Amino acid sequence: MLSRSAVGRAARQSWQQQRRGLAAPASGSFQYQTGEAHGVKFASRDIPGPVGTLAIVSQAGTRFQTAPGLTEGLERYAFKNTERRSTLRIQRESELLGSQLQSYHTRENLVVGAKFLRDDLPYFAELLAEVATMTKFRRHVMNEEVLPLLQLDHKRYLGNTLEMAINSAYGVAFHRGLGVPLKLSSSTPITKYLSDSALADYAASAYAKPSFAIVGNGVDHGELSKWVNEFFADVPSQPLQALKSEQTKYFGGEERIAHAAGNSFVLAFPGSSVPTGSSYKPEVSVLAALLGGESTIKWSPGFSLLSKAAQDAPNMHIATKSNIFSDAGLLTIEMHGSASDIRSTAGKVVEALKSVAQGVSKEDFQKAKALAKFKELEYGQETQAAIELTGAGLVQGNKAYQIDDVAKSMDGVTEEKVKQIAKEMLENKASVSAVGDLYVLPYAAEIGLNVYNRYLAVAARVVRRSLKEDKRIQAERRGEMDMRFAKWENGKQGENKSLAHANDAAMAEHAAQ
Amino acid sequence: MSYPTLAPYITKRPWLMRWMRPLSEWYFDNAGYRKLGLRADDLIPEEDELVQVALKRLSPKEAYDRVFRMRRAFQCSLAHQLLPQHEWTKSADDYPYLHPIIKEVMAEQTEREDLESMVINKRKAAKKPASAGH
Repeated sequence: MLSRSAVGRAARQSWQQQRRGLAAPASGSFQYQTGEAHGVKFASRDIPGPVGTLAIVSQAGTRFQTAPGLTEGLERYAFKNTERRSTLRIQRESELLGSQLQSYHTRENLVVGAKFLRDDLPYFAELLAEVATMTKFRRHVMNEEVLPLLQLDHKRYLGNTLEMAINSAYGVAFHRGLGVPLKLSSSTPITKYLSDSALADYAASAYAKPSFAIVGNGVDHGELSKWVNEFFADVPSQPLQALKSEQTKYFGGEERIAHAAGNSFVLAFPGSSVPTGSSYKPEVSVLAALLGGESTIKWSPGFSLLSKAAQDAPNMHIATKSNIFSDAGLLTIEMHGSASDIRSTAGKVVEALKSVAQGVSKEDFQKAKALAKFKELEYGQETQAAIELTGAGLVQGNKAYQIDDVAKSMDGVTEEKVKQIAKEMLENKASVSAVGDLYVLPYAAEIGLNVYNRYLAVAARVVRRSLKEDKRIQAERRGEMDMRFAKWENGKQGENKSLAHANDAAMAEHAAQ
Repeated sequence: MSYPTLAPYITKRPWLMRWMRPLSEWYFDNAGYRKLGLRADDLIPEEDELVQVALKRLSPKEAYDRVFRMRRAFQCSLAHQLLPQHEWTKSADDYPYLHPIIKEVMAEQTEREDLESMVINKRKAAKKPASAGH
């Protein structure tokens, strides 16, 4: 398929890039160049290689949708028939050129894009413009092609306890906006809200100039600028309905859902926003790496705090993730496995978090920082994540996601900061969600988590801090005390035990029987 | 299947259309289906895959009205009666509601057949610019 001139051009480009890469001290070609044509924002980075990616990143994720299910509907309706081409024609043409069409959504963004051979950029720029502005929303296409897929997706969601628990934790944490489930969690959207006209209205908002940005990877910036200028001229300049969502507020609480298919347990704490957002805290991702759970080494549980805590339950899946959004974030610790395993481990997980709030060993901290930096850079280097982060950054703040800055801010994290953030998390109201066998799965209060108001802790701390130095130290020691007990046997005092721990152990034993 | 028609030929020529319009009005009034409350598109034979697909794409309201008209006409036919004159289909109401959908389905089908029988030729190197392939 490649002609000689194309190969020649690609070779020349990659040679030029290599020279540039050698001359620049840092990873220069990872920087995004930004631009604007007809009010449409776009960014690109020209990574050497024969394959390019182009995507529309629209601020139309589940957070911004005006009615439930619209984001999912729009995602599934991408690349269906337009004014100029039919669905089949789009499929066949992109197959002939050798490409991959993709559309997916996250809580904040809807990404519609394609991967293709470098030379086919004009075709795909035109195709994306057509998808954005000329899609024909027809009822029979909805009925025949879109809704059946959504129904299957809904069924799949209902069978997956971990996904349910994660979405429920988001709901508990943020209520509306970011708390809206990522997938259809009931059939109401299909029966009540999803129609061709509602979808057409939402598309007119999602694909208006202020709501989306175009991001290219492995495409020449000048070329992209030219084609965006040509094809995206008649995009509506104002959204039909402004896709605004208020500043996210964290609530927290607990939700328990009975389910027969599996057991999942999710603990969530307020986290960090994206690097381009307002409340960016790089220490959260270091804390996530420190807690960990999933090993990066094959056949070994790894050295992270949570993998140590879950040593007795090797068949349980446990992972910590720092999920970042434009103006808020959520640190989630997910557990998935047998109910008794979850029961016995959940308390230890909270203990691990408390131990971080007390202090971290230097070595552990260094390991976690290195891992967090690696993960962040690896994530940002991959085109998929970089495209979404850059697009969202452009739409919301006119800033592209620059991988070098992120690495720099990660270097500035200190042990003190991680300790502080862990302490804040424990003082805040946690979001806890349990899906599965509710008889065995623990309540948040049983594993020693704060689910009542932060007020008490804050008030107590303020009072203590206002004391004089010597009294304050005494009082603060008292604040960190928790319930301990010792069993007296044969007239002798037994070992001092934490009440929460002993309680968990007893319950786990009971559940196992 | 749709029926053969001269209509596109005639509508393209306004002078011919002026001549033909009264004739067509007279013809359709005398065809008799309007006196049973039917529309021209109700007479398209249903026993065809294309028409079946097109019928599924009617909006719920149109599909309901179509069934209603047919049952009413069937009832009239059994009773050997015509509808009262104020219930006859007016020529303004006798618009093609099914025909455009059938045409669309046909176009889809022909496109699919065309693409299915397409022969792919490899691009000749260095002759044409690389992006001229599609």
